[in-house]
Amino acid sequence: MFDPKASPKLIFEQHNPAPKTPSIDLPALDVPECDIDEALLADELLDLPEVGQLDVVRHYTALAKRNFSVDANFYPLGSCTMKFNPSINEAAAALEGFTGMHPLQDDDDAQGVLKLLHDTQTWLAEIAGLDNVSLQPAAGAHGEFTALKVIRAYFNDPEGGNAPQRRKVLAPDTAHGTNPASCTMCGAGVISVPSKDGYVDLDALREMVDDETAALMITNPNTAGLFDGQIGEIAKIMHDAGALLYLDGANMNAITGVARPGDFGVDIMHYNTHKTFSTPHGCGGPGSGPIAVKDFLTPYLPVPQVVKNEDETYSLIDNCPKSIGKVRSFFGQVGVLVRCWTYIAAAGPDGIRNIGQTAVLNANYLAASMEDRFAMPYFSTAEKKYCAHEFITVPKDLLAKGVTLIDIAKRMIDYGVHPPTMHWPVHDCLMIEPTETESKATLDRFIEVMLSIADEIEENAEFVAAAPHHACIDRLDEVAAARTPVLTYSAG
Amino acid sequence: MDYVQITQADRQEMLEKIGAPSVEALYANLPPQYRLDRDLCLPPARSELELQRDLASLTAMNNTASSQACFMGAGAYDHFIPQVVNNMAGKGEFVTAYTPYQAEASQGALQAFFEFQTQVTKLTDLDVSNASLYDGATAIVEGVLMALNTTGKRRVLVGETVNPQYRTVIKSYLTDLAAEYVELPATGGVIAESTIEAAMDKDTACLVIQSPNVFGQIENWTKQFEIAHTQDKTMAIAVFNPIACSLLKRPGSCGADIAAGEGQPLGIPFQYGGPWLGLFAASKKNMRKMPGRLIGQTADKHGRRGFCLTLQTREQHIRGAKATSNICTNQGLLAVRATVYMSAMGPRGMQTVAKQCYHKAHYLADAISKLEGYSLAYDGSFFHEFVVNCPTDAKAVIAAGKAKGMLPGVACEKLGIGQSNQLLIAVTEKRTVEELDALVALLKEVK
Repeated sequence: MFDPKASPKLIFEQHNPAPKTPSIDLPALDVPECDIDEALLADELLDLPEVGQLDVVRHYTALAKRNFSVDANFYPLGSCTMKFNPSINEAAAALEGFTGMHPLQDDDDAQGVLKLLHDTQTWLAEIAGLDNVSLQPAAGAHGEFTALKVIRAYFNDPEGGNAPQRRKVLAPDTAHGTNPASCTMCGAGVISVPSKDGYVDLDALREMVDDETAALMITNPNTAGLFDGQIGEIAKIMHDAGALLYLDGANMNAITGVARPGDFGVDIMHYNTHKTFSTPHGCGGPGSGPIAVKDFLTPYLPVPQVVKNEDETYSLIDNCPKSIGKVRSFFGQVGVLVRCWTYIAAAGPDGIRNIGQTAVLNANYLAASMEDRFAMPYFSTAEKKYCAHEFITVPKDLLAKGVTLIDIAKRMIDYGVHPPTMHWPVHDCLMIEPTETESKATLDRFIEVMLSIADEIEENAEFVAAAPHHACIDRLDEVAAARTPVLTYSAG
Repeated sequence: MDYVQITQADRQEMLEKIGAPSVEALYANLPPQYRLDRDLCLPPARSELELQRDLASLTAMNNTASSQACFMGAGAYDHFIPQVVNNMAGKGEFVTAYTPYQAEASQGALQAFFEFQTQVTKLTDLDVSNASLYDGATAIVEGVLMALNTTGKRRVLVGETVNPQYRTVIKSYLTDLAAEYVELPATGGVIAESTIEAAMDKDTACLVIQSPNVFGQIENWTKQFEIAHTQDKTMAIAVFNPIACSLLKRPGSCGADIAAGEGQPLGIPFQYGGPWLGLFAASKKNMRKMPGRLIGQTADKHGRRGFCLTLQTREQHIRGAKATSNICTNQGLLAVRATVYMSAMGPRGMQTVAKQCYHKAHYLADAISKLEGYSLAYDGSFFHEFVVNCPTDAKAVIAAGKAKGMLPGVACEKLGIGQSNQLLIAVTEKRTVEELDALVALLKEVK
């Protein structure tokens, strides 16, 4: 019987064993063939399917339709800043004048792309209130790793920090999981700093900082969506102890043009361009994680670096003796940085400020409109407790009525809304981040959806618990997937 | 243009609902001394038309490889990209989605990645693969870290014939860890078995060999990895080229435990070095030590096949400091490109690409080696790239080529892999016989 929710066949199941012509043809070989040593050859042709071009197009078009995206859906995934990706950005990145550049071409053939990269560095430094930028890191977590290497190199340098024993890194208990994982990859120990009422516990921090501490990795606004106003005091504690303050820039969208990390005591930070600067998320990547630093950390930045010469030309340099070296091949996620450049260039100074302010306005509007039904630990219009660009709700009353957090999330899919981040940074929470690019109409519809789901839970919890009902597939058994992992297709 | 749709009237209404007098009041926690009291020093906002003009003048300042006869390789190869790759991977549903945390809302990406994982296991002849890593260099590093963690040993043997871009990245990553980086010298453009035998010891975590290597030479993985496996637990890491794998022996069949490589040849343009695609595969026994996102097959309650992220307990968002890697994002959109490329080209199309690369490279190498003053630096088997000894400085050859709209190759000295007169030449299926002959004619003139 016809099942409208049946998944499409895998490409491997569409193999035509005897196609007349290949899906894609190449010109005939125009040089004589030469012998190839049989010992070098694989025993068999690659075990991949032959599929006609039309069926390839149909297949991936069908898959695309089974995917929520910012282009098609409201996507308030907290901490991920799923804002609009302007069409011009994609067109810019696809220009052959950029895509056709081999990474080892001479600098004099690459002046356009080098200027773009240098502009991007300059602008990111200004937005951060810091002195220098490296565009090398491939993603936020890679930026964290790179920054921690820079900090380590600084303390190892007798002419720099000259405190090689400083190997401990502190991170609040609400930190992104990448923070401690990045520390491990740098061979640094990580110590969790407790929070009090959603903010860093200053007394605990004072106790924990010592002459082995290299840095505190802080996210501000923090992962609960709150700007930690103690930041000046936190910076002072770190600096008085001879340690550095590192900012995880995941939440920069709340403060662009409003406040600058360098001004509130940050020594080094990373950006996530795919969050703040509207480079698309691409089903999980490519990201880009530039780091910005104060001058005293500049000598340790990874190579290569883009510099502007006195004659207004640009060069790539890698002769930096104190550099931590290379952290990836060639030069950064250039195609992503082209989008970043295009976005900042479009916005200008007023636009960049409006982005931050509107992101905060939109989040507070949603929170204010939902707080009666969805309990919020840190937000209250009555007490004038506001959030930054995102907020968390722990809907205890609703969860007491026979549904789980996952049920609520899956029910949102039925309404065409991508569910928020779940169970993070605290258990049983939804973390909601609307971004500044959504219209009020979209925000109002989202409020309506959330209030309807709250009603549905009151009236028929079982129905919500069985969601999704209208997705392309019913709820999937993720436990079974992990118990017996099937990671590849095999015939039969 | 900031793409904000909220109007002044909306703003008023929203502030009323919140009960705040102004947007500034929402920043109550932000101490006044930290509020920026000036405009950011950025160029003024630009309209889309102005952006198009600015971008056009920037691209006009680039002299692209793609507009010339490009013989540059060294880790970035000028392959044909079918239009269908751009069209499919350009779909907004793929471009503007995120990591498929919510399986029922992300079946498209999940199925594409499941297909990608399967394709990579076929390319490498290994059991399991992930949904991609940042690039070739970091994929190799993840393999090395996995070997260190799995074996508990600390020496990392890396062939000198591994692309220096990758070697320097491995070195940076190992600097602060309890590991020892050992570079094995090359003999005649490859790593000799005796060199590996002499370097191996009980504390060797892994042996990293690239083939075709940075000189284009094909290494004897089978023999090399046999030697690696003479020590208990030592892992063999094959650095591979996915196009070569459609014709030549694959890592798994040569005994590799881990295969890592750059996916750029699979339908990804140069883009001045990124974003590209880290390919990673391993044998099944190492599945739970894998870095990165893994997609698994599962079913809904009616038994319909579906896909979801799986084995997430390996990952940073669950395990923190004890995760197998800090990686969070992958290169999703590039993985989609590679998947569509492999699906569209098919096994025969990919093999044709590899064969054409091989034949054209050998046609060119043969012609150059007959020129007076020129010779091939190495006499072993090669795939689509080779080193030429020139009668003059390689930079002079390159300059002469550029004057004729040609990029003759990469200077080995610039890469740190040879003498000033050595030129590394790569040939893909895109080079025509006329371009090959033109390069030979050019070299003949440069003495």
